[in-house]
Amino acid sequence: MATLLLEIGCEELPAGACLEAAEQLPGLVERELGAPPSAVFVGPRRLAALVDVDERTPDEWIKGPPENLAERAAAGFAKKHGVKVEELVSREGFLGVERAGRPLREVLPDRLDAIVRGFSFSKSMRWDESGIRFARPVRWTLAKLEGDTVVGETSFGHRFSSGSLEIPHAGQYAERLREAGVEPDAEERRRQIVAGLDAIGDWSDPGGVLEEVVFLVESVTVLEGSFDERFLALPERVVVTAMQSHQRYFPLGGNRFAFVANGGDPETVRAGNEVVLEGRLDDATFTFERDVQLGIDRLAERLGSITFFAGAGSFTDKADRLRALVEKLGGGEASVEAARLAKADQAAELVREFPDLEGHIGAEYARLAGYPEAVCAAIDEQYLPDAAAGPLPQTEAGKVLAAADKLDTLAVSFSLGHKPTGSRDPYGLRRAAIGLCRLAVEGGLTVPRELMPDEVREFVEERLEGLIDVPVEYVRAARASAAPDLGAVARLAETLYAERETPEFDAVYTAYDRANRLAGREAESAAEELDRSLLREEAEQALAETLAQVGDSVSADGDVRAALETASALGPAMERFFEDVLVMDEDPAVRANRLRLLLDVRDTLGRLGDLSQIPR
Amino acid sequence: MIRALEGYWADQGCVLMQPYHTELAAGTMNPATFLRCLGPKPWKTAYVEPVIRPQDGRYGENPYRFQHYFQYQVILKPAPEDVLDRYFESLEALGIDLRRHDVRLVEDDWEQPTLGAWGLGWEVWCDGMEITQWTYFQQLGGVDVELVPAEMTYGLERLAMFLQGKRSAFELEWAPGVTWGDVYRESEREWSAYNFELAPVDVLEARFGQHEEECRSLVERRLPLPAYDQVLKCSHAFNLLEARGAISVTERAAYIGRVRTLARQVAQLYLELESEGDGDAAA
Repeated sequence: MATLLLEIGCEELPAGACLEAAEQLPGLVERELGAPPSAVFVGPRRLAALVDVDERTPDEWIKGPPENLAERAAAGFAKKHGVKVEELVSREGFLGVERAGRPLREVLPDRLDAIVRGFSFSKSMRWDESGIRFARPVRWTLAKLEGDTVVGETSFGHRFSSGSLEIPHAGQYAERLREAGVEPDAEERRRQIVAGLDAIGDWSDPGGVLEEVVFLVESVTVLEGSFDERFLALPERVVVTAMQSHQRYFPLGGNRFAFVANGGDPETVRAGNEVVLEGRLDDATFTFERDVQLGIDRLAERLGSITFFAGAGSFTDKADRLRALVEKLGGGEASVEAARLAKADQAAELVREFPDLEGHIGAEYARLAGYPEAVCAAIDEQYLPDAAAGPLPQTEAGKVLAAADKLDTLAVSFSLGHKPTGSRDPYGLRRAAIGLCRLAVEGGLTVPRELMPDEVREFVEERLEGLIDVPVEYVRAARASAAPDLGAVARLAETLYAERETPEFDAVYTAYDRANRLAGREAESAAEELDRSLLREEAEQALAETLAQVGDSVSADGDVRAALETASALGPAMERFFEDVLVMDEDPAVRANRLRLLLDVRDTLGRLGDLSQIPR
Repeated sequence: MIRALEGYWADQGCVLMQPYHTELAAGTMNPATFLRCLGPKPWKTAYVEPVIRPQDGRYGENPYRFQHYFQYQVILKPAPEDVLDRYFESLEALGIDLRRHDVRLVEDDWEQPTLGAWGLGWEVWCDGMEITQWTYFQQLGGVDVELVPAEMTYGLERLAMFLQGKRSAFELEWAPGVTWGDVYRESEREWSAYNFELAPVDVLEARFGQHEEECRSLVERRLPLPAYDQVLKCSHAFNLLEARGAISVTERAAYIGRVRTLARQVAQLYLELESEGDGDAAA
């Protein structure tokens, strides 16, 4: 066995590409060299692997046609593999080609090239005539078999503090790079960064930039900086966003921050970074003060001139619709006030600079204007949940406002024909619909189904199918029920599923199914209303009687289990009916009346959903 | 600073161009970049470009935002293998000691939807400050580039602030005894008033349509260079309309689509004429 080093030298790869490469490199090495790497190194300027290999490739046997077909197939097979027919070798009844293994060094250039070409990045580019696509240009490759250089010439150390670098032996790769100012191992860089941050103490990373920073440097220097305390007047999240998403710094609380440099003179680099951050904060302060000078009420007044959505009026119109929706959702005073101010920050300059902080900035401005905390919190929470598993609003007013916002966005988008298609959903309508369902199911908010136009309701309720943990058929059944709100649909689906093996469910299901099968198709010939005087048989009178008794208490709104139990009384009545009564009576009036009776049974039970959706 | 860049890139064999004669929102839009980067002919150029971004004006009150500032644009087509080293050398020519500072390439992919153009690259950070936008073009005018060019766009005010240790562009020494603010502050104030408050929306809308029409007819007459100027004028009219707040989100997409269509037609025509020209030369 020998140690092989493979190195692919690149211009600075993005962190995302490094992660993709780290995922793919072991598999590619194994595919091309027959063994997985013993070590993998991933960083912005190089992808490398150490592999324990045989110095010869294994002998190969390429299986061809069976011997008994030799006359017909041997010549073609031999030609395809560039050998003469006489050279074909027979093994276990098949002809084939024997290929002796070759020295690894002969095949390495091609294998390394195949590895480079084998990567697939979510964003890739061309840079020369080679036709290779990679996340960024590949500028050198190196393969060392023990002490021998098989591909390329040298490696390279740190971009600015070192130059080309001899690797005397594959096994000395990491060691030599460390001497040249490069830490090739991503895990080790992460450890060094965390250790450096821990040494400073009290660091935080709410935006999760650590993972990116690991791949932004080849050499780790953790430095600390600070900014002028006057910037603490800015909303904290504005400061944190400026630090994290713009500069990839780690907040240390107060006016201090930590960051990771790739080299340079620490004093110079720290001073430079402080100037840059203060510049950004200065810029933010400038816009913040202009906004605050206007105040949230004046900002809200400006919404009339800002278009929310072409065809759906301005943000003032949006605020008016929100207010109406909030009232229909039973929101209290705080949520109505919050609805009026919810979109005011769309007129704020600071939101243009920090679009991710919409809502939050409005809430801060409302606080500065002295609005009650319930109003401010609701404004803050209006876009939640903003991710599939993201947190829900914590306040009642926040839940109501968040639901109203989503209802309006969905209704407006659908009415203007902007429905999501396939993977295209530029307005985030799926996320809005899922959020709405979660507000109802997990947040316990009553979201009346009648607040949604048909198309929107369909779309939203389809999301329920993926959200709650019961088979889709039960959700589909429940969606067809008379349940008045989204939460009730979910609870109905869950109860139907939980009760699916009880005798009550079975009785209801069977009654529904029989009534539906027989009368469903004949609905057109049924009487418009049940005529009790036409009920001749005792069994049909009994069924009508039972139906009248249970009718009103069969409801999907409330205790579904109790409703199932009550409704199950129709089971025996139906059974007797089908035993004693012939629905298709000769007398058309009697027949129509019996069909009506069955349809009434179906529709009463149907308040618990379209049970025909559930497979049995 | 500009002299140092001109000297360095002239020595690298670049054609030193001058700024273009109509409003551009980026040096990339200069035909010396946009059109010359199409097709199979090598091209190296460097030039200063004043860029006009009506929405970015702040009445000369904010020391970081302007509706008019300067870029230094360098194109190397095709990108040589050592293109990054050459770029870093240009920083040294500006007096930046690469060992003292923390110079880094941070992922930043570039896209210009109005021109149907995109590329992959970085922002170059020097001690955390973005001093250059660096891009390998992949598509221009919706057409895949044949020879991949490297584009380096230096933000001259930022770079000068870094070199001079100034915290405000207004305080930059633009010439001995003359600050950037002396030269441009009043212009920022007046143009911001025009861009945000006074630019006539109906006239701009009409102008956009006229330029669009003229572009089409010039494409029919097979004159891509004048047609391209009309694309630029459409783009500027659109930017002004946006600054005036006259464009909603959905309209915005439609406007961008219209400019992109024009840019694509011009790019295709330019390529056709170029390959016909080669044919003639060969004959």
